[in-house]
Amino acid sequence: MAATLCGRLLTKSGWQPVVQSVRHGSKAVTRHRKPMHILKQKLMAVTEYIPPPPGAPPGALTPSMKLVQEESGLVLLLKKELHTIFQDCKMIAVIQDNSTKSEDMLHLKHRLHKHAIKIKFISNQVIRSYLQDSPYLNMSPLFIGPNVLFVSKEPKVKEMLLCLKSSPQMILLGACIEKTLLSRQGVLNYAKLPSVTVVQGELVSGLTMLTSQTSSMLQRHPAQLSLLLQQYLKQQAPEGSTETSPGDSTPKE
Amino acid sequence: MLSLMKSAVVGLVHTGPSMAVGFHGLVRNHLKVFCAGMKTFEVPPDYSDVVLPERPKLKFMNKVPNFKKAKKEMKKLRDIQGPAQAANTFTSGQYGIVAFGGGYLHHGHMEMMRLTINRALNPRTTFACWRINAPYKPITRKGLGQRMGGGKGAIDHYVTPVKCGRLIVEVGGRLELAEVEPVLKQVAKKLPFPAKVVSRESLAAIQQEDQDMGKNNQNPWTFQRVAQGNMLGIRKVLSPLDLHNHGKYTGKFYNPKRV
Repeated sequence: MAATLCGRLLTKSGWQPVVQSVRHGSKAVTRHRKPMHILKQKLMAVTEYIPPPPGAPPGALTPSMKLVQEESGLVLLLKKELHTIFQDCKMIAVIQDNSTKSEDMLHLKHRLHKHAIKIKFISNQVIRSYLQDSPYLNMSPLFIGPNVLFVSKEPKVKEMLLCLKSSPQMILLGACIEKTLLSRQGVLNYAKLPSVTVVQGELVSGLTMLTSQTSSMLQRHPAQLSLLLQQYLKQQAPEGSTETSPGDSTPKE
Repeated sequence: MLSLMKSAVVGLVHTGPSMAVGFHGLVRNHLKVFCAGMKTFEVPPDYSDVVLPERPKLKFMNKVPNFKKAKKEMKKLRDIQGPAQAANTFTSGQYGIVAFGGGYLHHGHMEMMRLTINRALNPRTTFACWRINAPYKPITRKGLGQRMGGGKGAIDHYVTPVKCGRLIVEVGGRLELAEVEPVLKQVAKKLPFPAKVVSRESLAAIQQEDQDMGKNNQNPWTFQRVAQGNMLGIRKVLSPLDLHNHGKYTGKFYNPKRV
């Protein structure tokens, strides 16, 4: 029904397009851009230039290499010196230097020189870079701030401490004595120890005393020996408690 | 100089004892490094092959061509649309003004260019030459207060049509771009179309960049491909010139970012 109605209406009035395209003749104005046709606008939008994706930023693809700084000749020389110091010297003390006057330093140098102890001024940077590759790596925390090294071929700790007593600006931080890392307290304790030869003598004397005692006992009369053995048996027996005092006294003679 | 030496000596004196004491901070503070050296200057450009013409200045251009019988012409907008096929490369000069769009130059523009450039350039070392012809295209106007109709008006003045990419003026000689650039810029901004100051190198660079853009385009749908293939009947709305220009030129205008 509706279809027929529509059909009749359309046939009667005649169908007309909703939008009429009207041609206005060509314009010769070149002053401004003509508006583009919508299809051409779309075409222009579709066919826009697309640049290639930006390449990787510089340094992204290349492996991040650390800049290897060439060490100067002076640094190499100082490192060599450090190497010899750590090889040869038995005592390497690290000492903080709190703005000592040059005169005081001269005196201290002189006093240390008497004991064949040298003062080395080597920058912390060089020392730390040397210690990184050496077995004394654990010393590196000591090298912060103004430091000096006291170096000697013999472990003359007592003399060094004596010299340091007179210069309160110099503070002992730690030391490496006979390839052993010592703290400040450790160094002080080390200084209190008798020298190696004395200790060795004591040890030898103690050992020889024991052997001499046994030999002297063996060299006595056999009767005395048998008596001693008897005494020993008596002590081993359960009722030998009363007889212990003479048995103990005899070997002490 | 004396004070410099003195400070150096003082610095050394200061560093001496502090080195002995081992004040690293002090050393760093007082150690002054003085260096002396030779400055190497850039090699000046070689102008040995520059030949100055006999008349290094811009010539006066006739306001009206020397015709026996002046003929009225049609608008012929084609003479300013699209890329320039003539005078788009350098001939004798090194620097120039290049048009980045079409347009008409009349006698006033030429006088402006001639006077400005001739005033600024030294004729002993530099020269300038035209790359455009004197005005030859007649433009007609109807007289003031005249009613419409009655045929085409009388010739009012003459112009020179310029297409995009055409060089207007060339400057050469024993000079660098920095010397002449302000003058040329001053001129270029007064022209009736977008114009730029270029040197031989920068013009080549612009052209190279244009070519590279065409090569590196990541868009598979290019104007050329769609237009030539007449995809979806797009040629209905495209001009025949678009087949050649690929949307780079619309009339006298230039779209530099197109490929």
